[in-house]
Amino acid sequence: MTRITIDPITRLEGHGRIEIFLNEEGNVDNAYLQIPELRGFEQFSVGRPAEEMPRITNRICGVCPEAHHMASTKALDALYHVEPTSAAKKVREMFYSAFYVTDHTVHFYALGAPDFVVGPDAPAAERNILGVIHKVGVDIGKQVIACRQRNHHVIKMVGGRGIHPVAGLPGGWSKAISEEERAEIEEIARQNVDFGLFSLKVFDDIVLANKGYVDLILSDAFTNKTYYMGTVDENNHINFYDGKIRVVDPQGKEFVKYPASDYANHIAERVESWSYLKFPYLKGVGWKGFQDGMDSGIYCATPLSRLNAADGMATPKAQEAYEKFYETLGSEKLNGRYEPVHYRLATHWARLIELLYAAERMLELVTDPEITDPNVRQVVETVPDEGIGSVEAPRGTLTHHYWTDEKGILTKVNLVVGTTNNNAPIALSIKKAAQGLIKKGTVVTDGLLNRIEMAFRNYDPCMSCATHSLPGQMPLEVVIHDMEGKVIERLSQYVD
Amino acid sequence: MKTLIIGLGNPYLTDDGIGVKVANAIEKELKPGTHKELTIEEASVGGLRLMEAMIGFDRVILIDALITHNENKPGTIKRMTLDDLNSISPTQHSACAHDTTLVTALEMGRRLGLDLPSEIIIYAIEVSNVMDFSEHSTPAVTMAIPHVVSSVIREIQSQKV
Repeated sequence: MTRITIDPITRLEGHGRIEIFLNEEGNVDNAYLQIPELRGFEQFSVGRPAEEMPRITNRICGVCPEAHHMASTKALDALYHVEPTSAAKKVREMFYSAFYVTDHTVHFYALGAPDFVVGPDAPAAERNILGVIHKVGVDIGKQVIACRQRNHHVIKMVGGRGIHPVAGLPGGWSKAISEEERAEIEEIARQNVDFGLFSLKVFDDIVLANKGYVDLILSDAFTNKTYYMGTVDENNHINFYDGKIRVVDPQGKEFVKYPASDYANHIAERVESWSYLKFPYLKGVGWKGFQDGMDSGIYCATPLSRLNAADGMATPKAQEAYEKFYETLGSEKLNGRYEPVHYRLATHWARLIELLYAAERMLELVTDPEITDPNVRQVVETVPDEGIGSVEAPRGTLTHHYWTDEKGILTKVNLVVGTTNNNAPIALSIKKAAQGLIKKGTVVTDGLLNRIEMAFRNYDPCMSCATHSLPGQMPLEVVIHDMEGKVIERLSQYVD
Repeated sequence: MKTLIIGLGNPYLTDDGIGVKVANAIEKELKPGTHKELTIEEASVGGLRLMEAMIGFDRVILIDALITHNENKPGTIKRMTLDDLNSISPTQHSACAHDTTLVTALEMGRRLGLDLPSEIIIYAIEVSNVMDFSEHSTPAVTMAIPHVVSSVIREIQSQKV
């Protein structure tokens, strides 16, 4: 068997490595993403007061500390059986929306856009945000930085700390919003809405106007038909902060909808001997190996999944963009809702629609009269035992599950982090892309390998919840082994 | 000279957060109110967010963990400049896999006309364990803390801050 290794992966958090196994004919047999795992988070947590968890778990990851902080805070609500006040919920969601705007912005402009703006076959050293600015102009860079700065300002103001927020408490939030702060955030939210519209226009102009890129999005190599998961509100519209978990099947029919606290009844985790990763799947369908389709319990939890799992967006401009998305990609309406889009590269577009939604939602919340209500905390009066909290992290549904003794000291901890949901679909996508692009006699080039990377980059897999952060642009080395394991070719980029 | 010291890393991941430990130790060492132009921060971010944190400062001192996978013993301290970061090896947290490297981020910032520091110094400490959750760094790495603290303090006191 011939083995191709892409190691380490550029622009991916954590020690990632892609391994591609070729059969005797030189075609792709299997492909996997391998990641070593951090050890001992549960042992580290057990014995600590549960109320420390929002401040500990937001250190796990430098990429989405806000998501961990929020899921953890919600797990504490459940643990202490306390319902946050209405104002507290609104402040939390408004804060969370600001975070979404920054996170989706950086993913698109720094990671997604380089492949489309600079081009998938461009030298790897040019496929970065600098390449985007070089091609599209300095102004776009200024907009991106301005967007991030104003929202980081909101995160600091509302979350109590710039990078690793501290304001979440069981039953609420430690700090109310003053009218002066509210007015400032309102202005920022308005700018965010404009920026969301601007970003969709950028996508229109650069990606949709280029037939080559549209064909790439629609190509079979980047298509996988799986189940889709996302959190929805009472109208089955996307909500990042709260709601029920809804799963639709590959044809778009609702498969199941459940409260987040019920996750263990619906999700099981598969373990494979060759990986530290766990591969969650739907219990109700079952594990059928690494394959897609109706009979396989593999599900996906990404911006694309959230759009597919919902019936629409809760805000008007995002809803308009949502309809355009499905109409453009040829999805038909079935029983009043669009059929799912299975083109994985469309995730970048879905992310921008979510960005616009987050901006509109932030504006809605900050103009809600209740947002400045000082009553942002419910007093905790019960004995803790067990609690589950869940939010939609940008990279997938994030669940924190804590068990404590009667004093609130942790006895057990379980986290299902955003990317973990996607471990199996990422493996599917890599295999599919590799099969489409590496065929007998095909020369392995940088552009081709980048297309395989594109297959997982759209998931923005974040391994720092499971591993720690590593340099973004890493030396990329591809080693091809012959059937005896001898190195027959070595390709690299960024390596001296 | 407006100076920012940033300790990088995850303080709960054995040696990974050594930069944070050093930053905290520097803060304890300095008498409150004596360095008006000095800011000390801790963070586990890289790339764009790290660059953005530097806006408005004249000089930045980063303290981070480093794994070179060569002969360097854990606890070895290296003083680097941005050029070294570019040509030798990125430290553990200077880059962010979700956006870009610090070098690229700074180049972008300069091109956009952001007010970025003219001087960036990196103290990198060779570490061994960044895979196990623990608040305690390994002994060899822990022993390096006072040395880095005194080097950084000498550095900031060589120019008035």
